[in-house]
Amino acid sequence: MSLLELCVTVLVYNAVTFGNGPVMVPLLQADLVEGRGVLSSDQLLYGFTIARITPGQANTYVAAIGYMLHGLVGALACTVAIVLPGYLMLPLLWGYQRLRGVHLIPAFTRGLTIASVGLIFAATLSIGRATLTGWVSLVVFAAALAMAQLLHWNPLLVLAVSAVIGLGARALGWA
Amino acid sequence: MAGDHADGEPTPRPGPPGGPITRRALFGIFVKAGLAFGGGLGILAVLEQELVTRRRAIDREEFLRLYGLGRIVPSGTMTALAVAYGYRFAGPIGTAIALCGLVLPALVITVALTAAYGLLQQHRWLLELLPVTILPAALAFIVVAGVRLGRDVFRPSRELLLAAAAFLGAVVLQLNPVVLLLAGGAAGTLLFGRGRRDREPA
Repeated sequence: MSLLELCVTVLVYNAVTFGNGPVMVPLLQADLVEGRGVLSSDQLLYGFTIARITPGQANTYVAAIGYMLHGLVGALACTVAIVLPGYLMLPLLWGYQRLRGVHLIPAFTRGLTIASVGLIFAATLSIGRATLTGWVSLVVFAAALAMAQLLHWNPLLVLAVSAVIGLGARALGWA
Repeated sequence: MAGDHADGEPTPRPGPPGGPITRRALFGIFVKAGLAFGGGLGILAVLEQELVTRRRAIDREEFLRLYGLGRIVPSGTMTALAVAYGYRFAGPIGTAIALCGLVLPALVITVALTAAYGLLQQHRWLLELLPVTILPAALAFIVVAGVRLGRDVFRPSRELLLAAAAFLGAVVLQLNPVVLLLAGGAAGTLLFGRGRRDREPA
């Protein structure tokens, strides 16, 4: 996959998801992992892990994918690709009232977000099939889900405890 | 600041270059915003504190109006706000300054952690530990993100039907997710485009 193709892909996916990092996961999984096969779902998950423990916008993890495929240049180019549509803000500032149909955009993004909920769970199934192979991974997944969803722990703490559980199971020879 | 907007058009033009905030200060504010945890709302809180409360560079009403506009820009709201404030306080160069500040912290950390992943690949035993340690946790984060986005979806409603249709379209029919997302947006426009807000609780 050439750098240009990657940038165009990232730009389009970021734009159609309105810059929502998690919502981009199903698109990247379907295209880069299952479609073109240039990325493993483990690599995509690693990138998303970075997004959870990094400050700033949640869509900057595409820089990780850029770095994996094209090094530092790829990381920079992907970052430019996700911020570029931000310049649409300028014409909006000047002519908001004159643009017809702009008031429909919140309804559009609402429908898009709702559809993305279904897509995120679909992607979870497909990534899970590839990554959660042994029962130790399943246990760690369930534990992490409980820590993040029910106990609302900080992502770093969730990662640390998950790592301890997994490493413990490995050390005891269970996996 | 906004001398030339016509009547009936309350949207002022972005202020002229060289406003009350210098380029250096602009960069500093957006680096600080880019260091905020908690995604968009964390960033918004920093911008509010710096631009509205501390420096009084912009009033609260204008701040909220720009936030509302930024939400409809297909880049992420905070990116759009960086462009808007960059332009307002320092012209075209300002947009680049604000954007650089905003993405710099995340970009540096992301590249460093991805480079670390590259190092793992030279030690297979370390790489093999990932699927039993942090990768299942990352998948859990994705589920949590889905649940959070769908907070008002999981009850008997049109929203639930739409989300379920997208799920089945992806899993059973194997449709392209971009197509499904845009179809969801189109459905949203039809379902929620009229009578906005006034019949929210139903």
